[in-house]
Amino acid sequence: MLEASSLAAVAAAIRHGKLSAVEATHHCLERIARVDGRLRAFITVDAERALAAARGLDEDAARGRWRGPLHGVPLGFKDLCVVPGLPTSCGTRTADYFTADRECTAVARLRAAGAVSLGKLNMTELAMGALGDNPHHGHARNPWTGEHCSGGSSSGSGVAVAAGLALGAIGTDTGGSIRLPAACCGITGLKPTYGRVSRAGAMALSWSNDHLGPMARTARDCALMLQAMAGADPLDPTASAHPVPDYLADLDAPVRGLRVGVPQNFFFQELDPEMERGVREAAALLATLGARVAEIRLPDPQVLNDVTGLISRCESSALHGGLLRDRPQELGAFTRARLELGLAVPAFDYLQALRLRARLARGFTRDVWSEVDALAVPVIPEPAPPLRTAIEGSLEDIVARQGRFSRLTRPFNGLGLPALSLPCGVSAAGLPLAFQLVGRPFDETTLLRVGHAYQRATNWHTREPDLG
Amino acid sequence: MSEHKFQQAELADLLGVIERLAGELSLAEEPARFAAALEDGAPPAGATPGSVTPG
Repeated sequence: MLEASSLAAVAAAIRHGKLSAVEATHHCLERIARVDGRLRAFITVDAERALAAARGLDEDAARGRWRGPLHGVPLGFKDLCVVPGLPTSCGTRTADYFTADRECTAVARLRAAGAVSLGKLNMTELAMGALGDNPHHGHARNPWTGEHCSGGSSSGSGVAVAAGLALGAIGTDTGGSIRLPAACCGITGLKPTYGRVSRAGAMALSWSNDHLGPMARTARDCALMLQAMAGADPLDPTASAHPVPDYLADLDAPVRGLRVGVPQNFFFQELDPEMERGVREAAALLATLGARVAEIRLPDPQVLNDVTGLISRCESSALHGGLLRDRPQELGAFTRARLELGLAVPAFDYLQALRLRARLARGFTRDVWSEVDALAVPVIPEPAPPLRTAIEGSLEDIVARQGRFSRLTRPFNGLGLPALSLPCGVSAAGLPLAFQLVGRPFDETTLLRVGHAYQRATNWHTREPDLG
Repeated sequence: MSEHKFQQAELADLLGVIERLAGELSLAEEPARFAAALEDGAPPAGATPGSVTPG
């Protein structure tokens, strides 16, 4: 039953000699071989090297040499992270679309902490798209039904963790791409503060809005991964030198007195009733734990969506315009349309959007964090929709659908704020419900503490899909 | 609506929002202020929200 175990539990079992790294890795590889043909979580499985690495870690352990807190823990990495010896397709048709001289810093740090690399995970084309479909590598399937969206763009990361194919994964989030698949698949996902985790060695989609972060079963697991991933990096000038705290030190501290805001505006409009019930019940449970939960009115999140969206369109077209120019026939219609839109934006408007972003971030801090310590809001407007209908229709339909599905996550990319997605229920159709906690810049500690307190009081994060 | 017309309409909407809001910006407001806003908005080192505001 290793598939139902948390990363922390497996790491502890290995540390105490109850499980070997080879056993943990073999278990994941066996499960991948058995179910991933239908789930499509992985693009590349690196089985031989994973087992070789695990054997090396077991030999180290036998000599009393422990690499770090993730010693022997099998992880998967979104296929836009450079891992030496493996192709990096970024969800495109081109196996080696992205190359870099060095291993992705976040991957290197996780491996330095003892993690085993299982391989590279599926994603939407160029990390665009909120639903988890991919025309080249197959649609990553939601493990709860097989017929519903897995969420994107870190679709394989969400599916792999939910299905027990990996104990944790790296995701990236430009408009919600960690939190959307975490919410759809019923796992925990953290988009850290902008700059908290180095982007070096990971394909950029929008350098102003890109974030790398952990996806795992629990808030504690995310804390363990973030501890290894976070910090300044000479290879990424946007990686912050802000001190990295001990994310585990206060994890068990009570949440009594913490001020949690539930927005009056925007976030609960046009929300699925089951989702609204789940999120409001989660907020109510935090109140029973001693948090001071109150309504709050936020600065207009739609403005943040528009500003963030325009910046992302321009930067993604600047980065990936060559593919659009040279091989447009290789791109899916949605990706092509998004890149074309970015090419049409005047530089004047892009620069104004960047100036506005700075103003909006400062205003949000002034108006919101003076009132509350964290926000509790929905992640997705409805439980994961059926995949078949989600990707049908005209371009206009698809763009509108994708925009609606990421409208609750995108504001916090533009603001650069940390946001933690947590499962908080199950719909009548058996699909996960989720809410996100959003906090002050560089205050992942508080989000993880509240998330951990919530998960100690609930068991939504311990549910597992029946995959036969 | 054709794809071209749809994209033109989407672009016009986006630019309209940006240009309306940008009219309020002062000359001192530059993109680099975003990073400063994050640093300034971070809690002081060692501060634990909640413990300082008991209910």
